[in-house]
Formats: sequence, C-alpha cells, structure tokens
Amino acid sequence: MVEPTPHGVPPVNAPEDAPETSAQRLRKRLRRFARRPMAVFGAIVVVTFVLIALGAPWIAPYNPIQTDWSAIRKAPSSAHLFGTDELGRDTYSRVIWGTRISMQAGVLSVLIAIAIGIPLGLVSGYYRGVLDQLIMRITDAWLAFPFLILAIGLITILGPSLINATLAIGLGVTPTFIRLTRGLALSTREEDYVQGARAIGAGDGRIMFRYVLPNIFSPILVQATVSIPTAIIAEAILSFLGLGVQPPQPSWGTMLNSAQQFLQQAPWMAWWPGAAIFVLALAFNLAGDGLRDALDPKDY
Amino acid sequence: MLEFFIRRLFVSSITLFLISLVVFTGLRLIPGDPARTLAGEDADESGLAEIRARYGLDQPIYVQYVRWAALAVRGDLGESIRTRIPVAQTVLQKLPITIQLSGYAILVAMVIAIPSGIFSALRRNSVWDYLVNGLSLSGLSIPNFWLGILLILLFSVRLGWLPASGFVSLFEHPLENLAHMVMPAFVLGTGLAAVLMRQTRNSMIEVMSADYIRTAYSKGLARRTVVLRHALRNGLIPVVTILGLQLGTLMSGAVITEQIFVVPGFGRLIVEAVFTRDYPLVQGVILVTASAYVLVNLLVDLSYSLLNPRIRVQGRTGDG
Repeated sequence: MVEPTPHGVPPVNAPEDAPETSAQRLRKRLRRFARRPMAVFGAIVVVTFVLIALGAPWIAPYNPIQTDWSAIRKAPSSAHLFGTDELGRDTYSRVIWGTRISMQAGVLSVLIAIAIGIPLGLVSGYYRGVLDQLIMRITDAWLAFPFLILAIGLITILGPSLINATLAIGLGVTPTFIRLTRGLALSTREEDYVQGARAIGAGDGRIMFRYVLPNIFSPILVQATVSIPTAIIAEAILSFLGLGVQPPQPSWGTMLNSAQQFLQQAPWMAWWPGAAIFVLALAFNLAGDGLRDALDPKDY
Repeated sequence: MLEFFIRRLFVSSITLFLISLVVFTGLRLIPGDPARTLAGEDADESGLAEIRARYGLDQPIYVQYVRWAALAVRGDLGESIRTRIPVAQTVLQKLPITIQLSGYAILVAMVIAIPSGIFSALRRNSVWDYLVNGLSLSGLSIPNFWLGILLILLFSVRLGWLPASGFVSLFEHPLENLAHMVMPAFVLGTGLAAVLMRQTRNSMIEVMSADYIRTAYSKGLARRTVVLRHALRNGLIPVVTILGLQLGTLMSGAVITEQIFVVPGFGRLIVEAVFTRDYPLVQGVILVTASAYVLVNLLVDLSYSLLNPRIRVQGRTGDG
C-alpha cells in the first residue's frame, strides 16, 4: 500500500513509511473497534449469519421445501424447533435457508448501488460544472421516488423475482451513494496530495481512482454497512408483498406473508422469520456504528 | 433572497420534469403494445383505437410525451383499466386516509423522539444515553411489518383490545377511528422516531456546545431556561429538515403498514394496482408521490429560508 493517507501525505514524499503507517493505522482502527463491545457483538452475529448462510445444507435438519401433510402447523417441539407451517414444512430449516436469500439480496443490492453510485459521484464531484449539475438533478429526481415505490414500479416493469427485487433495491439505494461520494470527492479534490498528483502529471482517471477513492473509502464502507440492513428489510418487504422471492423458496418475507394468515392458529410461524430479520439488521447496524466511530478521522 | 427562491424553484421544476420523463417512459418499457397496456387485456379493437386516439399513440414519441404531460398538469392522469374511474379521482379519495395515518405517525414519532433525544443529549454517555441509542438502533432495525404482526398478535389476538384491521372515518366515529389507527400509526412512526431521535440528540449536542449557550449560562440562567428557550429553537431546525426528507420513507412505510392493517389508503392502492396490472393507476400513483416529495421539500426549504437568516445566505451555495 503506497496510497496516500488521510493525513494528506503524498506518497512521493514518504514511500518507505507508507506501508508501515497504513498497517499501524489498521491496527489502531481495529483496536478502536474492539473497544466497543456492542460493535464487536454485532460483527460476530453478522459473521455467524454468513456461516449459517454458507452452511445451510448441513445445518438445516429438514428440506426447506419438503411438505409434510402429517405435520401441518405444529407448535415448536423437539422434532421441529420452530414449529411447522401450513404445509408442514419445518420453520427452523426454512429460517436457515432464508438467511441465504436475505444475505444475498442485502449484499448484492448494496454492491449494485456502489458500482453505479461511486463512479457517478466521483465524476460529479471531481469534474463539477455542467456534468455535476446534470448528475445531481437526475439524483434529485431519483431520490424523489420513495425507495419502496421505486422498487415496486421497477418490479411492475421487470416482473417479480429475487434478481429483479435485488436490482430494484440496489437502484433504490444508489442515490445515497452518488451523493455521499460526490460530497467527499468535492472536498478531497482540493487536498494537497491530489494537487500534487496532478502536478506530476497524473491523469483524471488515475487521480480519481488511485488518490481520491482510497481516501474517501472509510465513509463509503460505513454507509455500505448500514445500507445492508435497509436492503435486507426491503427484500423481506418485497417478498412479503409477493413481489420478490416466489414460493416455495424459503425467504423470511414470504414466510411472514403466509404466517399472517394463521396468526390465530399458528403464531410461531410469525415469530422466527421476523426475529431473524431483526437480529441480522440490528447486528449490521451495531457493527456499522462501531465502524463509523473507529474510522472517524476526526478522532485521531 | 429572491435569487435563492428562483434558483430553488428552477431546480425543483427540472426535478419534476425528470420525474415525469421517468414515469412516462416507465409505462412504455413494459413489453408489448402501449395501447394494449393502457386499455387492458380484454379491450377490443375499438377500445384500442380510442386509447390510441386519446393518447396520440400514433404520433412521434415526443408529441406523446407533451400531450401526456399537458393532461397530467391539468390533473388528468387517465383512467383505471379495471374500474374505468379516473385515476385522479381514486387518488384524491385514497390520499386523505394515508395523510391522516402519516399525521398520526409523525405525532407518535415526535412524542417519542424529541424528548428522548434531548434527554440523551443532556446526559451524554450515561446509561440513559446508551438506552436511548439502543432503542433508536432497534427502531431502525425492526422490520415494521413484523412489528405490526407482533402488535396484532398481542393486542388483537391475545388481548382483544384493538381491531386488527380496517378503517373508520375520523368524522363519523372519532373514537373508533383512533382505535383503528393507533397500531398502524405506531408501526409507521417507529422508524421515523428512530431517525428523529438520533438527529435530535446529535443536533442538541452540537448546539449545547455553541458559544451563545455558554453566554446564556454565564448570565446565570437556569439550565432549564437555557435548554428550552435557547438551545431547542436552533437544535430542532435540522430535525424539521429530516422530517421533510423522511417523507419518502413515510410513504414507503405506508405501503406496507396499510397492507398489514388493511387500511384502504394510498399505499394499499399501489400494491393492488401492481397486482391487477392496472398500469395507468400505478403510473398515476407514482407520479403523484414523487411530485409530492419534491413540493414538500421545496416548501420546507423555502419556509426556513424565511425563518433562519443564516440559511438565507448559505442557501445559495447549497447543491439543492
């Protein structure tokens, strides 16, 4: 790593020190993160959910889409830890498999938003002028569509499926990343090390991606961490409405949809998928909060 | 000042123009004949011809856009494929219900968020502060439709205190109306409360460290007076902005809340419209929602450029 540091040290002046500094910095940040028990707890829970998602075939005791007519809407028991649903499917296994869909939708949609938002924001903040105005006006219009309504509109055109829901959520989150990146790029482009890079003849593309981007990476990472829970909840909402994952696929949203019809007879059907969304979203938010504090350059 | 007004109006009209372009093209991105899309699957040839004539679908695309926009500006959003009722009429009928629900939700959110935000700012890093922070994070993380389901389980299924669904007009049965709205309003208000709580806390912390607060203290004023009369006034300005920006979140929340509690409002309308492939209705609802967002935020901006002289000057450098 010979990227310039947030302190504004140009790499041309300190090529030997840079790798050490960034390693030290990372260690310092990790320590700061580790000092916050709730943030660490959040991170551990997130990692646990990732492991559950990856290990679903081995962890889940039953096939999540296997119906069993002899075990319809059975209350939680030792055979079915979380009970069974209206088709006799094991709720525990479905919650476990649902982790995959939620993680996938949450992470992929934020990656889509980053892939579109960062380049647009960089270009907008770096070049300013007419291009900036144009991108900003489009972003304004984009933001005027409420997140869920934009997603619903897109799914009306694209048709309901997990991939389309992920895409729609990603596009819904994108303007946040455009605005954030643009604001950061605007202030960073005036920094000495960017001016220095320009002086030694670096091209615009090189400056944007080698000098500006690494220095604005921290706030973007924090935004990504807190956008994932929003995306996970959005996927659950779309699936709940029948606009995302289609049955019989085990998604937490579709599970809650069928649970809503049996609140009187089988309330357990509603407890677990919702609790899973809540815990995962809370864990991401806790980790994101800790990350925000650990990466805040103002506290150096 | 005038320049700021004109600039802001100009920016908003560009935004509205872009919104209308998106909504207009959206309908045309649906595969198939747009006349068929607008008229519905069961329309016959004469129906299709009528639609083509009405929307000028045989004309070049920019002429079509101008015609559509001219009609929309005059409040003609076409008619529903299913019911043949004008979209504008349906929207006007459903919108008050959602506005009412949102009003209750904003009230719930402010009652929870502002006192607890101020409290945790004043007792920074205390147990109370952590508790409020934890509550706010939970409010952000809890899926509101699950919260709604849990409330129904407790208050309707288990205790039988509140109706699980439906809507009663405020003017016919005020008490019944409240009984029906209390759970939806709480569900819709939770997310907003979480955001407002954080915002109130942060902006109060910032304001409390300002010079003029120190001056007020050094004059010997009581803490109570300083907080309520000096700090709060400035501390709540960003909170009002957030409220404007959260309008979209509120609309998204209304979609799902109305679905859970079967409230026949705007949010339920859009979901129904999507499922019945009632494209003109979907188009109309989305256009109205996005335009409302732009107009409300324009009003918020303009109103406190009038209230706060500092923003009046700074507003010129804002990116709109």
